[in-house]
Amino acid sequence: MALTEDRPLALPSGGSDDGYTPTGVFTRPTAETGVRSWFTTVDHKKIGIMYGAAAIFFLIIGGSEALLIRMQLWAPRGTLLSANLYNQVYTMHGTTMVFLVVMPIGAAFANYLIPLQIGARDVAFPRINAFSFWAFLFGGVFINSSWLLGGGADGGWFMYAPNSGVIFSPTHGIDFWNLGLIITGIASLTGAVNLIVTVLNMRAPGMTLMRMPIFTWMALVSQFLLLFAIPVLTSAQVLLMLDRGFHANFFNVSKGANPLLWEHLFWIFGHPEVYLMILPAFGLVSDILPTFARKPIFGYPFIVFSGIAIGFMGWGVWAHHMFVSGIGPISVTTFSLTTMFIAVPTGVKILNWTATMWGGKLKFSSPMLFSIGLVTMFTIGGLSGVMHSVAPMDSQQTDTYFIVAHFHYVLFGGAFFGFVGGFYFYWPKAFGYMLNESLGKANFWLMLLGFNLTFAPMHVLGLQGMSRRIYTYDPGYGFEFWNKVATIGAFTLASSIALFVFNIFYSRAKAKNLPPVGPDPWDARTIEWMIPSPTPAYNFDPIPTVTRVDDFWYRKYGETKDGKLVRIASTAEVAQQRTDGKGIHLPSPSYWPLVLAFGLPIAAYGLIFSLWLALVGAIIVVGAIYGWVMEPPDDPDKAHDDHGPDAHVSDGGDAAVPETVDAVKEVETVG
Amino acid sequence: MAESLTSRPTLAAADAQQANAHIDADTNTGISNTKLGMWLFLASECLLFGGLITTYLLYKHPLEGPTPHEIFDIPFTSTSSFVLLMSSLTMVLAVSAIERGEHQRMRVWIGATAVLGATFIAGQIYEFTVFVREGLGFTTSRFSSAFYTLTGFHGIHVTIGIIMLVSLVLLSLRGKIPEHRAETVEIVGLYWHFVDVVWVVIFAVVYLIPS
Amino acid sequence: MTVTSHDNVPTTVLDGAVKDYSRDKVYVLTALFLGVVTLVEIATYAFPDFPVWADELVVPVLMILMAVKFFTIVYVFMHLKFDKPILTKLFYMGLVLAVLVYIAMLSTFRIWYHGHHG
Repeated sequence: MALTEDRPLALPSGGSDDGYTPTGVFTRPTAETGVRSWFTTVDHKKIGIMYGAAAIFFLIIGGSEALLIRMQLWAPRGTLLSANLYNQVYTMHGTTMVFLVVMPIGAAFANYLIPLQIGARDVAFPRINAFSFWAFLFGGVFINSSWLLGGGADGGWFMYAPNSGVIFSPTHGIDFWNLGLIITGIASLTGAVNLIVTVLNMRAPGMTLMRMPIFTWMALVSQFLLLFAIPVLTSAQVLLMLDRGFHANFFNVSKGANPLLWEHLFWIFGHPEVYLMILPAFGLVSDILPTFARKPIFGYPFIVFSGIAIGFMGWGVWAHHMFVSGIGPISVTTFSLTTMFIAVPTGVKILNWTATMWGGKLKFSSPMLFSIGLVTMFTIGGLSGVMHSVAPMDSQQTDTYFIVAHFHYVLFGGAFFGFVGGFYFYWPKAFGYMLNESLGKANFWLMLLGFNLTFAPMHVLGLQGMSRRIYTYDPGYGFEFWNKVATIGAFTLASSIALFVFNIFYSRAKAKNLPPVGPDPWDARTIEWMIPSPTPAYNFDPIPTVTRVDDFWYRKYGETKDGKLVRIASTAEVAQQRTDGKGIHLPSPSYWPLVLAFGLPIAAYGLIFSLWLALVGAIIVVGAIYGWVMEPPDDPDKAHDDHGPDAHVSDGGDAAVPETVDAVKEVETVG
Repeated sequence: MAESLTSRPTLAAADAQQANAHIDADTNTGISNTKLGMWLFLASECLLFGGLITTYLLYKHPLEGPTPHEIFDIPFTSTSSFVLLMSSLTMVLAVSAIERGEHQRMRVWIGATAVLGATFIAGQIYEFTVFVREGLGFTTSRFSSAFYTLTGFHGIHVTIGIIMLVSLVLLSLRGKIPEHRAETVEIVGLYWHFVDVVWVVIFAVVYLIPS
Repeated sequence: MTVTSHDNVPTTVLDGAVKDYSRDKVYVLTALFLGVVTLVEIATYAFPDFPVWADELVVPVLMILMAVKFFTIVYVFMHLKFDKPILTKLFYMGLVLAVLVYIAMLSTFRIWYHGHHG
């Protein structure tokens, strides 16, 4: 990794910038603080924080859309939204929540935590990392700009053909949806390559794959799912784009097209997608539960391999979304069986978490509460999921509110609870102050209450036969009561999110009068807790040498012969001190990722409105790529260009590598 | 468990004294980040082209307009396939040259690769114009849409490859590709070979399988 | 040879990739082999009645020839034969996944049946 230099190299702010402009356009940015530093940063921590902030921004948009839906359904014959507008609102709600909230929060944690958990200074390609974020943000803004330019997409978040064709959806909403998601897809794909390379290549000495914290493992699996699932969606979206924009015949039934093509491609992407959304949350919980149970995770290899198994099996179950589409009895039976099997590795995880808590000295801090919330709520969602593997039952429930209840239990009750737990857990590490515990607990109970009030009644509504995606219902079918409960629940849920946002600002104001949190406020287990809070730019100084799972914990605690925990060192002794970071080489900031990402939505607007504009976008993209390539990855010392995306010095020969690293390599070839 | 506690560094400062704390081997796998990243990208591209090839297989029998084997000119396409195949040879010879430090030879081979690639693209454009003249427009049938999309997507990939090759020659002329960055050439080569490999599949599946 | 390099960093380990001149010969022979296989492929079109691939057999024969070309390029030209095994594994993960998933998808369309015309 050759990041520690023995000669004094400057930090990005080192001031040695001689105004060298590689392409005559920009001076190399050097700002380390202030607004400008955020636009040009390549620091994985700042990028992670921006992912999180953008996701919360989109959460507010998507949440408002959810509230509109619930207000419309408050009473029979609601008049708040027209049928047309209702179609747009639920489509954009689903799209926003999946692609612009849950996925980027996963990306936020993965970006922030993976380098810290494996003991690296940054990700493998820092500038590509910045590009991924900007492309995601611009893609998200692009999709939402459809509200101002003729209305949102109205085909449901899975946009089945032929409803997505120009004949059935003549506005540009679906074009915005389609092109915007191609852009966020590019972001996800580059991010996936980046993080996989980071995990495979940049681990600290002794950090073998089977010593990695479980969050890193689960994030790695979900990045692999992204790597392979995103191109499937992109290929489907290219077909849709050509159909809508250039009159191709992929979904044109009159020319013999088969609308099931879209359904298959979408769900081949879509099912791995749901697992890649939930796995990072599983990872967070697998790190939080042992911390607050003060016990190691029960069955580390089982948790890891069940995560990998979920990743693989997730590719063989997609057609269970299509049982009523007429794919035939053999296909239905096959996919029924595979769907039943995939419950096994998920069940293994639930067992492991329960067994981790069993007999532990449980401490119910906010992160722990949210984690237990995930375990319980996800189990409910998982059980209703297994019900859907039974094809006759699934046929009854397809497109009813029962399905809506199911996937909100897994995605909100599962993924989102885990993420909020992760926010409470890692807040002090990222920002240097704790979120208020009492507010946190109130936050949890309010969210749990609101969540169950909203989505539990939907099970009943679904079984009673209420269809999803219909903008209203008639009185007299018994839908009134539970719809009212769900709407009340939705507002309770919204207030719990508001409480969380309030807690951020409240705790920050209060923190000024409190002592600094220190590196390890939770008495935690993994190595990211041995560095100062908030994390310094250089992460670790020195890079720790890892000898086992939960390495940091075993620097603090030992065991007596009869298995009792004994404290062997105080946190202050084993934690790292904040240093001035001199002599640590970090990648330099750059404008090019921002410029490159900016070209993408311009080109996309062009594809919708005028091909001349698309040309402008394309010129920006191409120019930015050349600017990027010509810019040395690390400006302050031009000779030292060994870890940028386009340069590499392979000076390592195997001879110089000490034994422990050979051990790393052996594990490597297995993984 | 208890006895092992004393033999390992618990204090953060001790990490700096570890023998392997300052190893100079740059990566855990021994493969550079860039190369590993390129292979991951290529693995992902398999799924992208797979989707388009699948679409073609599903739609290859049109309801109207020319059918594949009425319109394909196999001798012509065989020739251009051969040209693309040989560009892989020149590409790999370029990589071999730069690894020996022979810059001039590397530039010649890369130039040859780019010319062969451009010949292929010219052939594709010619093929498309002939097809359109014979009544197979992009919107004619489900077959025509699937065919043009698949082969056109591949053509875009080849074109991007040509641009990268030309850029490499220009960079090399400016002395920006010293031997220790020879891997850049190898990585562009990986992309180029992959595009060739995709055409190997397309040539057999789209052109040669009789209906 | 003009060496335009500004650095005099010697050519060192290149991830186990090509080092010696003699490998160029391997590349040329590989290309010749690929050319011959391509000629056989084209022969299935030119002489459709040749007994080896007459009637039903032409599709499997073409698929085998295609696979031979594919893996030859990937192994020799893309250096998987000489490189670290992890690269082979990662690439095959994507390749195998693509083949399995898309064949399963085409099967649900019953595309392999005789007389399937959509």
